[in-house]
Amino acid sequence: MRLSLYLVRDTPVHALHPVAKVWALLALLVAAFVTSSAGRGLLLWLIVAGLLAWGRAGANVYRLRWLFVLVFAMTWLVWSLFLRTEGAWVEIGPLHPSWQSVQMGLGMAMRITSFFALGLLFLSTTRIEEFACALRRCGVPPKVAFVFTLAFRLVPLFVEAALTVLDAQRCRGLDLSQGPWHQRARRYAMVIVPIFIGALRRADGMAIALEARGFQRAGTRTSYLRFRWTHRDSVASVCATLLAVAWLAL
Amino acid sequence: MTAQDSRALAACLRGVSFCYLQAGEPALRSVDLAVPRGSMTVICGANGAGKSTLARLLDRSIPSFYPGELSGEVWLLGERCREQTMASFAGRIGFVAQDFEAQLFSTSVVAELAFGLEQLGVPPAEMNRRISTALAAVGLEGFEERDPASLSGGEKQRLAIAALLALEPELLVLDEPTTDLDPQGKEEVLEVLWSLRARGQTLVVVEHEPRALEMADQVVLLRAGEVAACGAPGEVLRQVELLENNAVRPPDLVRLAAAVGWETAPTSVQEAYERLGAPRLSQGRAGSQDAASTGAANCLLAAREITYRYPEAPAPALHEVSFRVSPAERVAILGQNGSGKTTLARILTGLLQPAQGSVELEGRPLAAWSLTERAARVGYVFQNPDEQIFTARVADEVAFGPRQLGLAEGEVRERVQEALALVGLGERANADPFWLGKNERQRLAVASVLAMHPKVVILDEPTTGLDQHEQRDLLQLIERLRVRGMAVVMITHNPWLVIEGAERCVLLAGGTVIFDGSLPELVQAPELWRRARFRVPAAVELAARCGLWVRSVEELARAVAGRAGRCA
Repeated sequence: MRLSLYLVRDTPVHALHPVAKVWALLALLVAAFVTSSAGRGLLLWLIVAGLLAWGRAGANVYRLRWLFVLVFAMTWLVWSLFLRTEGAWVEIGPLHPSWQSVQMGLGMAMRITSFFALGLLFLSTTRIEEFACALRRCGVPPKVAFVFTLAFRLVPLFVEAALTVLDAQRCRGLDLSQGPWHQRARRYAMVIVPIFIGALRRADGMAIALEARGFQRAGTRTSYLRFRWTHRDSVASVCATLLAVAWLAL
Repeated sequence: MTAQDSRALAACLRGVSFCYLQAGEPALRSVDLAVPRGSMTVICGANGAGKSTLARLLDRSIPSFYPGELSGEVWLLGERCREQTMASFAGRIGFVAQDFEAQLFSTSVVAELAFGLEQLGVPPAEMNRRISTALAAVGLEGFEERDPASLSGGEKQRLAIAALLALEPELLVLDEPTTDLDPQGKEEVLEVLWSLRARGQTLVVVEHEPRALEMADQVVLLRAGEVAACGAPGEVLRQVELLENNAVRPPDLVRLAAAVGWETAPTSVQEAYERLGAPRLSQGRAGSQDAASTGAANCLLAAREITYRYPEAPAPALHEVSFRVSPAERVAILGQNGSGKTTLARILTGLLQPAQGSVELEGRPLAAWSLTERAARVGYVFQNPDEQIFTARVADEVAFGPRQLGLAEGEVRERVQEALALVGLGERANADPFWLGKNERQRLAVASVLAMHPKVVILDEPTTGLDQHEQRDLLQLIERLRVRGMAVVMITHNPWLVIEGAERCVLLAGGTVIFDGSLPELVQAPELWRRARFRVPAAVELAARCGLWVRSVEELARAVAGRAGRCA
């Protein structure tokens, strides 16, 4: 099973300088962060959808479609029901649904799914090594940049290990879908121990491998990846910045 | 040590002893070793003999990562090591660990190789040359943009080697580099080592593959932390009894030569065949019982024409595969990495649902059984025992499955004792599994499945990381299970486990069954086992050429001796 999100494609989004990608990502995240209304959320959605199509990342959106639907629906529902606003239709305990809370819930759902989609776009079009390279270019020390990107490198591996451990326990009759929640929570603890021990063993092996390849060595480092800043990168950075400024100003 | 000595040797140990922190016994005792530059040294011995500890001393992960008490002199690349850490030798000493997957963390092959070069500050233009050379040396040209996660086991291992070769180390240390690989993958890695040796690369390899022992310049046999034998392969390998006592399987033809009294061992099956005078030998008593044991009177677990495709995979992992197993039958599933063996096992246990076809357990569709009912009938021991062990006490680990079945505590206790006794862990019921050796953890995983009283036990690569003696214990355990009426399905690359432990075998290639029959039939069909990248042991191949079916070198030797007797 493929767990990494990077898609090998030859698109203008893939070809952008990693620093331009990081800058554009930050700018668009700012825009998403200040989005509260459904109208602006929809506009941002369309922009992000266009970028996903341009970067030919649709396969990943399809792969994670249920997560998108779940996050969107749950956010909208929770905000619509629990947000206290004027003019509630009914008030039952903590529930205060109103036209305003439904609108704000929709905006929040769009904001959160936009965050999610932007992250997906970045990881679908940027290799982890490019991300590390961009961080180094931005002045982040190489070791810090590596550790920062380590999470992205390891998450797919841990997910894979977790799935194997779950299968191993199911083969011994562990049914995680049955019983009350506290029993299920206890059963999950049985799964976590082997995952944790496996992670520790892997971390040990990785630390030695890093050391053997000179990770702790002092002195200058070089970079295999060579990127040239082009006018396309400038245009992408400026456009993303203008969008963020416009969203902040509106 | 003189300056001249230090230049000629890549590594030199004098009276070295090492005891891990908080360990009662030293792992190495007064070890003397000299590794000449440009040579290949193979270290072998039983598990726990100190092989990995010796490798760690040579790559300086002792004392950098494994603290303990170290005495004696360690010289590496002409330097007397005192305070030097692993980082001091980065790029000059390369180390490939047993768990090579933990050493791969990049998203492309080329990025994996570039990582170390970047850390060492190698100029980009020079990087291209080194990356091309290293990939060519391990036969991975054309893989530059591949994701390491998508490579086969053999390819990943070769990538781990290439990542260090790119650094152009003066000394390369490899700890069991062929563990987990199918016979073809092992062959690929050994070919790489062979070519590196020919190029003058200094290699120290912890390995027990007979072929690796034969290709070395120097073989070091460790026993309880001490050097039991050290010398050229010809000298050490002829000490068959010593090797066998130390859980190292000597090459088949060397054992045969010792058994029949030849002065020198033949170098190939063809040579042995010619020495024997190209005979037709009569079938000995031991082999006669094997050919007919493939009948399936009562089918216990059966898959019929199943097809399975992983999401996003271009081709199905299994295509119209049929499989059956009867009570007390021992079946081996063979095939190269990625041929669909584990997918088949997961379908047989209900972890995966086939897209087409059906699976029946005791004549009833597998899906009709509940999760616990299935677990009580089909046991699956995963390749890595650490993926299932989670308790702090051996007895609790074994009791987990029976408790899931809702059994009374008295019966749970009985089953725990019985299962632990069956795997030889009866004395370790109160031990913490975390501190058990790999072999014991493997047996614990088997016991935790046996305590469910399954009718079929599926063992996924059960000999990984086990030495010769431990493999012998496993074979005895499999026989005990058969006697109790359990069916055993083994997924394995280990040729001797198949020959000695199974009656029937199923060969998978590209997701389809290309052979399903008895072992004597398989041995007679080299085109099939080669297609599945399986290797029949040399002794069995030689016997087959003589018209004989044997399960061990000893059986072949007896047949040869019998013929000699008749001729006299």
